[in-house]
Amino acid sequence: MTHSDSRGAALFDLLTLGRGPDHPGPRKEATAGRPIEDLPPPAEVVLPLVQHLGDPAVPVVKKGEVVRRGQKIAEAAGSGVPLHATINGKVKSIDKQAHPTLVQAQAIVLVSVTGAEVAGLEFPEDPAWRALEREELLARIREAGIVGLGGAAFPTFRKLRLPPGVTVDTLIINGAECEPYLTSDYRLMLAEPRAIVEGARLLARIVGVRRVLFGVESDKRDAAAALEVAANEVVAEGLELQVRVVPARYPQGAEKQLVTALTGRVIPPRSLPYAVHVVVQNVATAAAVHDAVRFRRPLLDRVVTVTGPGVVQPRNVRAPIGTLLIDLVRFCGGLTDQATRVISGGPMMGRALPRLDVPLVKGMNGLVLLTGRGPFEEGYGPCIQCGRCLDACPLGLEPNQVSVRVEAGRATESAEFGAVECYECGACAYVCPSQRPLVQFLQVAKSALRKQRENLVTGTR
Amino acid sequence: MSEESTPRAPFVVTPGPHLRTSESTASIMWWVNAALLPTTAWGVWVFGPPALEVIVGTVAGAVGAEALANRLMKQRLTVKDGSAVCTGLLLALTLPPLVPWWAAMIGGVFAILFGKMIFGGLGYNLFNPAMIGRAFMMASFPVAMTIGWSIPRAWYSRLEAITTATPLGVMREHDLQAALHLIGGPEGWFRLLIGLRPGSIGEVSVVLIVLGALVLLARGIIRLYAPLGVFFGLAIMTSFSGAAWLHLLSGGVWLAAFFMATDYVTAPVTRLGQLVFGVLIGLLTGLIRMWGGYPEGICFAILIANAMVPALDLWFRPSRVQAAGAPS
Repeated sequence: MTHSDSRGAALFDLLTLGRGPDHPGPRKEATAGRPIEDLPPPAEVVLPLVQHLGDPAVPVVKKGEVVRRGQKIAEAAGSGVPLHATINGKVKSIDKQAHPTLVQAQAIVLVSVTGAEVAGLEFPEDPAWRALEREELLARIREAGIVGLGGAAFPTFRKLRLPPGVTVDTLIINGAECEPYLTSDYRLMLAEPRAIVEGARLLARIVGVRRVLFGVESDKRDAAAALEVAANEVVAEGLELQVRVVPARYPQGAEKQLVTALTGRVIPPRSLPYAVHVVVQNVATAAAVHDAVRFRRPLLDRVVTVTGPGVVQPRNVRAPIGTLLIDLVRFCGGLTDQATRVISGGPMMGRALPRLDVPLVKGMNGLVLLTGRGPFEEGYGPCIQCGRCLDACPLGLEPNQVSVRVEAGRATESAEFGAVECYECGACAYVCPSQRPLVQFLQVAKSALRKQRENLVTGTR
Repeated sequence: MSEESTPRAPFVVTPGPHLRTSESTASIMWWVNAALLPTTAWGVWVFGPPALEVIVGTVAGAVGAEALANRLMKQRLTVKDGSAVCTGLLLALTLPPLVPWWAAMIGGVFAILFGKMIFGGLGYNLFNPAMIGRAFMMASFPVAMTIGWSIPRAWYSRLEAITTATPLGVMREHDLQAALHLIGGPEGWFRLLIGLRPGSIGEVSVVLIVLGALVLLARGIIRLYAPLGVFFGLAIMTSFSGAAWLHLLSGGVWLAAFFMATDYVTAPVTRLGQLVFGVLIGLLTGLIRMWGGYPEGICFAILIANAMVPALDLWFRPSRVQAAGAPS
């Protein structure tokens, strides 16, 4: 991980008894030792037509229709992906439902139907799966409804279609699950290393690279070892597969950090990994790609870590997409008396939800139930210039300077302190002793600067 | 959804990140206050109840002034964060033990009102409030501030005259030999280390100041860059005097280096900035002591260096991760 001050300075801090920058720590003990458990099919699933960045899917079923698990129930539109039934059931409704990130969105609601007449679709292996053409691979990935499972939920087929003029020499498979509490990727690497490596091989074919780097944090060495074993078994066709252990330190799994840690290349501000000839895919996405290509199996389930001090029995659960969060919590023994907050995703970059009657969507890798008061419930203090945020920022930005300028109503003067480069990992806000909402200050600065840029562009016309 | 399916909804929705460090501004300030306790207690033991009166005076003045300012400025009460106590305590520790308690209290009030609150309160002040208070007292009570020194442990033996001069004061008025005589000959460095010598209430025991500083270093509250800079700068400047060791061990250098040059609000944020800031304080202190009008000088050195901080913060910035790395 690249840090704002040199390694020499860090060493000097150590020699002089100085403690390194404060850090959220992995906090993964509750679920790290628990294998993935399957949730019994829930009585009802809510499947929003938008679970990705792009156009919503268009329903191809009607209310009252009986559908089988695995059947396509909404067709891809525009830049989006299709949607599939994740339980055997009957279409209860197609209407607005609560959505974890969009508040409300159109969704297909299925109620479970059991019995011999309704069985899930079978997905037998396609014997030719290893020799498929690039376009066929992309089509299967899109048809399976796969989006980035690491949290971003960007349609995977779009990420793999390189923009014109872009050349790529390295594929990175992200197994650096750096969010505190979360262990879903970790347990998947232990459970299905073979599927991940095969998926990576297919992804490498699609983007046309000879080098695949698996990045795994140092607190998950057994997962790295499992991937290594699988990588040695897979028919590699002249492909270089390397598993590399990177230091466990938030936000190591952020694309920018991981690309630098593995290749030494630094992605320029506001750019994608393409800019340094790299494509990054999450381990769970790679496994889903494998299933989609080999079995034509759509994305029906995902592994989600249900954890935190607010839940009785933290677990890693494989659950159908669309499962209501309350059903996940019940499977994990219910809420503890102290539970006050529901976080979708990890506790650093995830978002707080007001309710549990919303569905598990494709991009949700964690459900963290927290206790106690939320940040800023008690307000926040002035910047005391302690400099902790400078040490915490993985990019060497200056959240302190940005925040005082935003407070003074001078947000547009914060460009030189890095407001634009920030990708909102929250490490600065975590360490701030004055509990300042630094991420939000950076967001304000960013949007003010964007507005200023747009005005400049229109002004010159 | 039924009522039963959403227990305790709505949950608390606050912006992320949803985890926060347990360290707070108040916990940091109270740690600093705790780290000052050993040298404070030593000062009271060495100089007796008059020292305690001074300490109570400055702290009461500082805390009272901040509470009053909070009221007038319609802010929430901020005295619980420990920073007003810290300012009062630091001011007391730099004062001669025989300063009248009421003068000390006025100093505490001035330090908070004109050193801190007038700028908007904690975080906004340019100068170290305790040093503002001390500078104000040197201008307002020049006699008490120059003759208020006490012979160690003299109060307890009920001596008629317990006032004396400080080693640096003697060196300034007379010469190094006289200063050495005051602290007990060439072996006096030991008395300087443990703190059995005339001086300000909290400056005399180098050992106990370092003890407190070690706690803050181990807690990650302060870093060593500024203190090392102070010692380096002062050593360079006083190396011509032939008594660099006496300069380094007296005149509040250790208290200032570890507890004032490391004050977050009035020091630079980056490591290099802090080092340069410390060197600046050291050089200015030496300059004032050798060619200026005060035997100690560190108070004004800090205030002048404080004024440089906004510039230092712009000159010494964190190094940004630069876009780099062509394809291999």
